[in-house]
Amino acid sequence: MSEVQKKKYSDKEKNNIFDNEFMPHIDSMYNFAFRLTFDEDDAKDLVQDTYLKAYRFINSFEQGTNAKAWLFRILKNSFINEYRKKSKQPSKVDYQEVETYYNSDNVDYNITSDLRVDAVKDMLGDEISNALNSLAVDFRTVIILCDLEGFTYEEMAKILDIPIGTVRSRLHRARNLLKDKLHSYAKDMGYDADED
Amino acid sequence: MEKNVNSSGERKLECGDVNKCFQLLERILDGEDCDGSKEILKDKLSKCQPCFEHYHLEQAIREVLKNKCTKQAVPGELAASIRQKIEEIK
Repeated sequence: MSEVQKKKYSDKEKNNIFDNEFMPHIDSMYNFAFRLTFDEDDAKDLVQDTYLKAYRFINSFEQGTNAKAWLFRILKNSFINEYRKKSKQPSKVDYQEVETYYNSDNVDYNITSDLRVDAVKDMLGDEISNALNSLAVDFRTVIILCDLEGFTYEEMAKILDIPIGTVRSRLHRARNLLKDKLHSYAKDMGYDADED
Repeated sequence: MEKNVNSSGERKLECGDVNKCFQLLERILDGEDCDGSKEILKDKLSKCQPCFEHYHLEQAIREVLKNKCTKQAVPGELAASIRQKIEEIK
């Protein structure tokens, strides 16, 4: 976003865009912020900062384009630049290691063959939520954007500033990590594929 | 990828290239259709057991995520507080 902007919208138009295109996404924005920060106050501040930035830079928003994706991009950048440092979650260090491990070809099927549909369907909200929250932030983010918010790969690439091929591979690895986590929950619940 | 197809029309028990197939199935589930994805999907689900299982597992995971991880209650005063801050900077 450039500091120098052409005046494009009147005050009335700005309010109109803000109320009708930005504010309806507050629930999704808060959910995303909370899953990034794990803290209600940080999530509130992050959403508020995002909306203030969105208003300040409203002239760089093209009406008719995807407001939700535009807002998510601002929120993600604010999180990286301002919140990530102070949040208590693990840093990005484990990302490369995990990514390399899960890049091996045979991991997928081993996990899948042990995790069953009925086990997943019987899981409680907390278990699913904890499994998602346990993923490193880059993996967690792609699952939130894709499965919770329904963004396309192309929109995700723009939100995250990464190529579409990276979106695809990161998402695949994130899903494998999530299945791995769900598999341990399923075992704790007493689902054991070996007994079949 | 067609090895292990048995003559009675049951699904083969081993997939020739799980990594490639599973990634393709995930893309289809994500709505990222590629050429002929409907036919590819139909073919894989009817002929390959690992693909069939993977598809339904992925589908179930997406459903529980969507149903159980999007209900974070937004603090009631947040929208009002944002509007107030906007009024201040106008």
